[in-house]
Amino acid sequence: MSAEVMEVGGGSSPSTAVARGRHGTALFWSELHLVFGRARTWVLLGVLAVVPVIVGVAIRLSGSEGDAQGFLGQVAGNGFFLIVASLALSLPFFLPTAVTVISGESLAGEASLGTLRNLLTAPAGRSRLLAAKMVALAVFCLAATLTVWLAGLIAGFVLFPVGDVVLLSGSTVSLADGLVRALGIAVLIAASLIGLAAIGLFVSSLTSTPLAAMAATFSAFIVSGILGAIPQIDVIHPWLLMYGWTSFADLLRDPPYWDEIVRNLLMQGAYLAVFYAAAWARLTSRDING
Amino acid sequence: MGTTRRGRRWLVPVTTVAVVAGVGAFGPVVADASPDLPGITAQDLLAKVQTAKVDGLSGTVRSAADLGLPALPGMEGSQFPDLLSGEHTARVAFAGPDKARVSVLDNMAERVLTTDGKTAWAYDSSEREAVKYVLPARSTKPAQPRPEKDAYDPQAVAKQFLDAIDPTTKVEVTGTERVAGRDAYKLRLVPRTDKTTVGSVTLSIDSKTWVPLDVTVMPRTGDDPAIQVGFSSVSFDVPAASTFAFTPPQGVKVTEETVPAFKPHSVTPPKSVTPKTTPQTPRSGSADDRPDVVGQGWESVVVLHNADLTPGTNGPLDQLLANARTVQGAWGSGKILTSKMVSALITDDDRILIGLVTPDTLVAAAPKAPR
Repeated sequence: MSAEVMEVGGGSSPSTAVARGRHGTALFWSELHLVFGRARTWVLLGVLAVVPVIVGVAIRLSGSEGDAQGFLGQVAGNGFFLIVASLALSLPFFLPTAVTVISGESLAGEASLGTLRNLLTAPAGRSRLLAAKMVALAVFCLAATLTVWLAGLIAGFVLFPVGDVVLLSGSTVSLADGLVRALGIAVLIAASLIGLAAIGLFVSSLTSTPLAAMAATFSAFIVSGILGAIPQIDVIHPWLLMYGWTSFADLLRDPPYWDEIVRNLLMQGAYLAVFYAAAWARLTSRDING
Repeated sequence: MGTTRRGRRWLVPVTTVAVVAGVGAFGPVVADASPDLPGITAQDLLAKVQTAKVDGLSGTVRSAADLGLPALPGMEGSQFPDLLSGEHTARVAFAGPDKARVSVLDNMAERVLTTDGKTAWAYDSSEREAVKYVLPARSTKPAQPRPEKDAYDPQAVAKQFLDAIDPTTKVEVTGTERVAGRDAYKLRLVPRTDKTTVGSVTLSIDSKTWVPLDVTVMPRTGDDPAIQVGFSSVSFDVPAASTFAFTPPQGVKVTEETVPAFKPHSVTPPKSVTPKTTPQTPRSGSADDRPDVVGQGWESVVVLHNADLTPGTNGPLDQLLANARTVQGAWGSGKILTSKMVSALITDDDRILIGLVTPDTLVAAAPKAPR
């Protein structure tokens, strides 16, 4: 926590100046500065960048084609698949953790530092503040998946031979086509994290303790995962946050299979709408002292 | 800002939840309202279905099965016909008399089965293995590398139920609906016998091509479909010939088999979930291993021979058998396994009787079953 206080409180902009500058896009840019100005954000992105490197080095050192199934098993033959495998491996844990930390921080962090008080009285308006927060979170989600994409690209090209990409359907496309599809996967996974980010934003609006917001958001994520693992309640499974998360792989079919992808995006949109609205209701009806 | 006005803001998220839930739950219902179609008698519809012929089609098929089978670890996968468990999505394409392609879209993987009439390919993306089957010249029926091909073809599934239509079946047109964006009649087949576990079979039949687009099998007890196979999208354009070609990608292990071999697993239920099962399973096995069919129509029972169910070698199945009810008769004795839809009788002389029938029907069929 102390590092956090130094990071924000010791920044170049005192809280009054922050409040004054937050109009429209200025508000958004200052949010981005806030998110990406924290050492914590860069540590998280650094950890994500290490994932492909560790996976790649491990496969390289084990030396064999291995018996691994799916994307991991293809990495040794084609470095391209390190990108996809790393994204797939980061999805169940690393990426949600990063999003939980950043989103739990967003409002609760400012409340704990006292800066939220100024923001709530500022002329920019609370609705706009919330919008800027959400957009900044979305940008972080994208930054996180693109980090994995880029690290996977570099590690894959350095450690392994690369070549044409064999799709799930058994047909082969050029490496450039494959890289575009992998980029699409990174964007889709970022979009898959939006629902969780919205939950985090809402929880964050409820408390002035960032750690509590992070813990609660992560609990919601874990509970969703547990519910998804209980077969007896499979009627609710399609409504769970993570139900469509693996649909990104449908981009690697020939032709891509859009049904599940679209469904997942709609689902994330629904979570975003519900929890963003809840966060808005909370923030706009909240006392200035929180 | 008064307290009431603040409280009212919470109506926004609450309304959002209601709208999302409403659209999610009832949106599809509204979109699938019954279309207006000219009336047709069950007999006319039946005749049209049985003579329906299309040169080719392609589309996406969704299947869901809940036969109430026990989930046995180790029995999933290739030994266990896909159709019999869980939900699946497959892309299908058919053309001419003998061209077919079925791609089962698994989670982050895909299994492709394709045949152009001369060769057939089975490709598994997760194993990165491809098997090439060189099919015999048209001496027999076009060979089927795996039974999945039929399992994902609503037309084939429907045909097997239509074949079962005889005086023991009540046939009626129960309305219209939209399936895969096309107007369809609903044809319902109800067995008149109570010896089967099948409550009813509903076919959704396209009003232009008379091709069945959806098959729903309801059990005698319960409200949830036991089997549902249907198109979620369909096109009746003949797919290009290249659709059915397959070039094994680099780095994939390719094995070649001349005889289309499908090794029946000893505890595998009948390949087609039909009352009148055509013994399509093993072509390579000896005559002794060939399954027989006892009984007719809805009461058909499939008999598998030489089932090797020595205790202690089948893992979880042993447990299941240990708890199973023992039945006896002049024919010998055996164990009865039952589920919502499927019943099986495993006799002490290594025969397995399986059918969509009640356990009593199985016992009655046991003396008639060849050894």
